[in-house]
Amino acid sequence: MSVHLDHIFESPLRGLSHEGDISIHDLTNRHRWGLRGQGAAEALRIQGWDLPEQPNRLVASINQSFVMALSQREFWVLDPHNDAADLAMGNDFTTDAYPLFCQSSHAWLVLKGSETSALMAKLCSVDLRPDAFNLGDVAQTQMALINCIVVRHDLAGDDVFSIFVDQSYAEYALEALLDARQEFL
Amino acid sequence: MKRVKNAHFGQWIDPSQTIQFTFEGGLVQGVEGDTVASALLANGQWVQSRSFKYHRPRGPLTLCGYDANTLVQTPVAPNLLADRLPAEDHLAVTAQNYTGSLHFDLSRLLDWFGRFLPVGFYYKAFFKPRGIWAWWEPIVRKTAGLGISNLSVKAPYNDKTYAFADVAVIGAGPAGLNAALLAANAGAQVTLVEQEPRLGGSMNYHAFEGNYETTKSARDALVAAIEAHENIDVLCSSTCNAWFGDHYLPIIQKSRLIKLRAKQTILTTGSSEQHVVFRNNDLPGVVMCSALDRLMRLYGVVPSAPVVVLAGNDLAYRTAFSSQDGGANVAAIVDLRTTYNDPALSDEAKRRGIALFQGCGIYEATQGLFSHGLSQVDVHKLDERGEVAEKLVSIDCGLLAMSAGFMPSYQLACQAGAVLSYDDSTSQFQLSNLPQGMHLAGSVNSVFSLDLVEADGRNAARQALSNLGIAPDSETGSAEDVNFTEQVNHPWPFLKHPKGREFVDFDEDLQIKDIINAARMGYRDIQLVKRFSTVGMGPSQGRHSALPTARLVAKTTDRTVHETGVTTARPPLMPEPLGLLAGRRFHPLRRTPLHHRHIGLGAQMTPAGSWQRPAYYGDPVQRTACIQAEVRAVRQGVGIIDVSTLGGIELRGSDAPEFMNRLYTFGFVKQPIGKTRYAVLTNEQGVVADDGVAARLGEYHYYVTATSSGVDRVYRDMLRWNAQWRLDLDIANVTSAFSAINVAGPLSRQVIESVDCSVDLSAQHFPYLAYQEASVAGIPARMMRVGFVGELGYELHVPSPLMGELWDRLLTSGKAHGIRPFGVEAQRLLRLEKGHIIIGQDTDGMTQPDEVSLRWAISSKKPFFVGSKSVDILSKSPLERQLVGFELGATSPQPKEGHLVIRNGHIVGSVTSCEYSPTLNKIIGLAYVHPEDAVPGTTVVIRTDDAVHAHARVVKTPFYDPDNLRQAL
Repeated sequence: MSVHLDHIFESPLRGLSHEGDISIHDLTNRHRWGLRGQGAAEALRIQGWDLPEQPNRLVASINQSFVMALSQREFWVLDPHNDAADLAMGNDFTTDAYPLFCQSSHAWLVLKGSETSALMAKLCSVDLRPDAFNLGDVAQTQMALINCIVVRHDLAGDDVFSIFVDQSYAEYALEALLDARQEFL
Repeated sequence: MKRVKNAHFGQWIDPSQTIQFTFEGGLVQGVEGDTVASALLANGQWVQSRSFKYHRPRGPLTLCGYDANTLVQTPVAPNLLADRLPAEDHLAVTAQNYTGSLHFDLSRLLDWFGRFLPVGFYYKAFFKPRGIWAWWEPIVRKTAGLGISNLSVKAPYNDKTYAFADVAVIGAGPAGLNAALLAANAGAQVTLVEQEPRLGGSMNYHAFEGNYETTKSARDALVAAIEAHENIDVLCSSTCNAWFGDHYLPIIQKSRLIKLRAKQTILTTGSSEQHVVFRNNDLPGVVMCSALDRLMRLYGVVPSAPVVVLAGNDLAYRTAFSSQDGGANVAAIVDLRTTYNDPALSDEAKRRGIALFQGCGIYEATQGLFSHGLSQVDVHKLDERGEVAEKLVSIDCGLLAMSAGFMPSYQLACQAGAVLSYDDSTSQFQLSNLPQGMHLAGSVNSVFSLDLVEADGRNAARQALSNLGIAPDSETGSAEDVNFTEQVNHPWPFLKHPKGREFVDFDEDLQIKDIINAARMGYRDIQLVKRFSTVGMGPSQGRHSALPTARLVAKTTDRTVHETGVTTARPPLMPEPLGLLAGRRFHPLRRTPLHHRHIGLGAQMTPAGSWQRPAYYGDPVQRTACIQAEVRAVRQGVGIIDVSTLGGIELRGSDAPEFMNRLYTFGFVKQPIGKTRYAVLTNEQGVVADDGVAARLGEYHYYVTATSSGVDRVYRDMLRWNAQWRLDLDIANVTSAFSAINVAGPLSRQVIESVDCSVDLSAQHFPYLAYQEASVAGIPARMMRVGFVGELGYELHVPSPLMGELWDRLLTSGKAHGIRPFGVEAQRLLRLEKGHIIIGQDTDGMTQPDEVSLRWAISSKKPFFVGSKSVDILSKSPLERQLVGFELGATSPQPKEGHLVIRNGHIVGSVTSCEYSPTLNKIIGLAYVHPEDAVPGTTVVIRTDDAVHAHARVVKTPFYDPDNLRQAL
């Protein structure tokens, strides 16, 4: 169960966008939720969500949302078009499907532009070039020495990277991205 | 020297764009495209450095950064290679390693006393009499200095990037260009790495088959095709500085380190031209043939003085002819051999009017009377054994170009495990035992003529493609024959002189006799010769000295060169700045959601692990007053502190109680829902590893806090243990999902009530150590009544995105009650007054529960918890130390953390926490003492600053509110 809120969520990045040939957008306040556990996949299917066939993949699903599989038993539902209006407190669970706290725990950054792979190559050791990292691929890796999840996907017709980092590192991650972006401006 | 710029000479320069920089304070004019070295040479400045040991004047030898003769300094960095350093306007370049001036170096005296500095002298000197090294050290360091680091310079911006390729081609000469093109045409993603600023390698400066026009045309066609190819990533001015496992290649490109992961590596690294070893072969003006080719073809600098070419192979003739074509006066070719591979070369020399001395060598080069440069060479006949015979003639000249052959640039291959072998009959090298996926082509593979080099490059690409599973087609073609018979290496290019100074290693000033003496002293193994003599240890890393050293050792020890071998090649290939390895300075910083609010309130932030936390709020000048005011606020009114850095772990599932019971020392199965319990974690050695508060939210639901610095380890340990226990639960690290504040002080209840709290906060309904879920200011909160600071207090854990709003509401409503934010400093003092320990500060990696009086937190009824066996064993042994509270008068010297506790002259413990308490008006602290001194009332001695002994009284904790009445209000 999630709690409905009238409050405006506060993003550590204040929802700002940094425009340029490579633009960086803060989607931290956009809605997302997740489930983990033996029965997580089944619970999502029952609700009508399309699931990736393999871990570390993302697929487009209903309501212009995406479902990202971080393992066989862990899924995040990402809704990039709507702000969060409720969040999980973690109390209401079944013993095979536990709600996750990804709305509160992680910041969500989106990188858009033609040189995003080159920019990310300055921060992340995974080969994120389009030939090697296809649309829908997910990497649970590190960026500038912090843990992150990097996803390549289509967003309103644009080929983008979504990057999820621990919200306490959000400003640091943004600073690292902006610094790496300098040469592409 | 004069400048030439036409279709064949001065390829890389633009004479219409002049550049001015200074060298040793004097103005130097160069042109666009120059390096510092080429600009200096164009201005007749041959002396560019002083040698390492004898301080002999030195000038460029290779003009490609393969020697230490051009080490110069700029205000930013020492030890830069002038032949790689682009000339730029306003650049201030100085020479290095001299006393006085570059031209009048007082340390040159060392050259005259060279006989007292034999090989390995430093192993036999400087250590007797005892202590003399202290006298020698500054002298040796100054004399052997290689430049001065400017410690005040701002560190340059270095960064790193990762790259990937199907095929990495290292070296963009004819072999590399052909390999890259063929591989890319077949569909492979290729990264082509070239040290020079432009592609082409030797095709830029060497007239293959004597025809520069055709060489240049072939190069231009290849370069154009490569630059237009979308499958090829070209990295110029880039050095592949090592080879690591699975083709992991660190590539230095200016201030960037590129970490390239390739599937296949083709080494087309070329070869290093070798020098002839004769007396004074280090004089400025004595260069490699390829260096003269580069000087003229790339930079358009043509010698005005006569040129002599000392040939050990046919290729040197091409240099002589090219030089003449460029306008130089080639006085003679002195050929060490009696026969050539190509007889037409002698006819060509005659036709050009160049004197030819066959079967001869240069016995000695002579320095000019008023200059440091070359002025004359003595040509001697060589007998049939190659030994020096009668003198034929002295030739006046200003430049001597020499070539004794070529040694493969074997370093990267050998780093990968390849074996370099030498054929004593042909004087050729061969690399074998290459690792999977590595291929060689071109002169590194001992192939030298252009058509064969190109074919060799294509063959290497075919092999790489085959390994990649790309089937051969019409584009790739089939393997070409590469049969090579031309001998380019002279077998014995040594002309020993009784007066010495025939340099084998220019970097280390090692002569023929040094190497021979090292071998005669018993260092037969080439590796031992290297260590004893330091041959090959200089910046050139043996590029020129490895082969002559091997030959000399082989001859001295009556072995073949093949048997002797060469020294090991290790990374890095070229000197690399440490800043480049460090790269960008990533310092991951964690900020709580309230970070900017703290700044706005005047907080002085302090690092706490990777977190930033407020130390206190206010002016640093009034630090103590600020902290004391914060303490007073909590003791007398109400304070609020951001504790979002506390670790938080969520345990959910039917086995959550069992898991808690196994992991923590207390009993948790029967912990009531809605209650918190102190949770201590010991490791398998029985050491106190972490602590926190466990709240039971439901039958199968716990929320456990952990120390800020320990939560990641605790979480990891939980996952590890559950991987073994296979219990049914979910473990989630929710440290960032929930942020927390602690509202503490006698008025804390009123403050929370004032923001509309959904639960009854009275002591009756919400007693000490209770847990409640509530809505505070409309925000869902997990509330705990805990008392870390010893006052009535509530810890509120809320979803991080909502913490800012809650903080604002509490501060606004709390104004009426005098609420004041407090920082880590006040919190430390407040908890110390309560005698609460901080894991990691008051404990160390050996602390067992009994030492810190935590026996009460260990369940004696449980059959097991992590570390239980060790704790049992430890508890049966007498304690060696015990943590106690101590106090001192307010005016006593104040001990600091780490100060020692002394008992009968022996160290028995140390202070872990100590503060002045304004509440108690005394100094209080925690310290490990001898167990016999742990009785309250005992006096212990603490050694404070300046060895002042403070006599502290052991007291019972808590220091403040001993009956714990205030926190239970």
